[in-house]
Amino acid sequence: MKTTNELIQSYLGDLKTALKGADKATVQDALADAEEHLRTALETERAETEELEESEALSAIIQEYGEPAEIAEAYKAWESSLPPALAATPAARRASSTANGKTYPGFFAVYADPRAWGGLVFMLISIVTGTLYFSWAVTGLSTSLGVMILIIGIPVTILVLLSFRGIAFLEGRLVEALLGERMPRRASFTDSSQPWKERLKILLTGKSTWLAIIYMILMLPLGVIYFSVLITFLSLALGLIATPVAALVMINMGIPFQVLQSGDIVWNLSGPGGFLLSLVFAGLGVLIATCTMHLARWVGKTHGKFAKALLVSD
Amino acid sequence: MIDIQETHKKFRKELSAGTVSLALLSILAQAEEPLYGYQIGKLLGAGDSDVDAVTVKQGAIYPVLRSLESQGLLSSEREMTDSGPPRKYYQATKTGKETLEGWTQIWNDTKIFVDNVLGGDYQ
Repeated sequence: MKTTNELIQSYLGDLKTALKGADKATVQDALADAEEHLRTALETERAETEELEESEALSAIIQEYGEPAEIAEAYKAWESSLPPALAATPAARRASSTANGKTYPGFFAVYADPRAWGGLVFMLISIVTGTLYFSWAVTGLSTSLGVMILIIGIPVTILVLLSFRGIAFLEGRLVEALLGERMPRRASFTDSSQPWKERLKILLTGKSTWLAIIYMILMLPLGVIYFSVLITFLSLALGLIATPVAALVMINMGIPFQVLQSGDIVWNLSGPGGFLLSLVFAGLGVLIATCTMHLARWVGKTHGKFAKALLVSD
Repeated sequence: MIDIQETHKKFRKELSAGTVSLALLSILAQAEEPLYGYQIGKLLGAGDSDVDAVTVKQGAIYPVLRSLESQGLLSSEREMTDSGPPRKYYQATKTGKETLEGWTQIWNDTKIFVDNVLGGDYQ
């Protein structure tokens, strides 16, 4: 006779198999819903009936919940009706690439793509989130190791490890909102009816805890790189775009406006034809800004895949 | 050969796609406090073998709840429990309650239309 825990796990296993091919995040949502339901139902039965034949009761509950194949189908239908946040539908993509300039419809259409703007915002804030994640991961880990020999070591370590999972979930929501990569809509949980030692064991041996820590640590260098690259290109682009305005002001005030290299004038923006030259500079600025937007979209997409690989467990 | 059971199943599934959303929204709009999935299932009588012909499996409720939430008709809140997993409590939003009025109207019109056709009063 199987225990109720084994029955639930075996149902979840079947459901996971039936969901094969669905998005990883949908699978995680479906499993969480099923587990919440089965455990809640069993607990309600326990409270209502004395001397409950638990395995039988659970079998009936599972029967009422539905066959794994049937439930999997319902989730797949839900998933297909729900585009991830900001994900451009094929129709929207077509619209954005035809609505803009004739010469480079695809190239400048990036300004109409919410994913590029999402990537831009993500790159900007990643220096803050990256620093916070890294500091917390290092502080939490070293504190846990430090108190491990004491009696309070185990609860402290569990709390720290749980906080890593919580952060991984929150980061997932951020990644979905900004980068459009579908991430779990609810956090995974550990069975709190288990004793402390068991829970610690599950947390320590679980792949997802360690992958979350790796993600948190990697976010510091990544955040610094994303932020620096973005700021460099953005300020360069904005500076170049502002050149004509600066040139007009300088010319009117009679101040020399030149690009020098070892004392020699390379570009003379306040001389004859200087304003036209400044327009060329501005054009270059627009080009760099657009390339930066493409870069932001690409980084967003790539980082989304990376976050999914590390933060969503199978 | 056509499988009668299979066509019944397919027809039921097609019908339930809209009616389950309506029923869930209605239950949550009438509820005085937020409810979690298991309670909603009980109220809906889902999985009850006596009315199996009309209702859905309890497990099929959850994706519909998620779908209604993503449309802004429901809001949800997670609450921890002493033992077992956290529960997700749903309640109808203001938009959800307004939408329900429209849906009820559509349902009534549909009901009259179908009844008329089935009763032969459509001419």
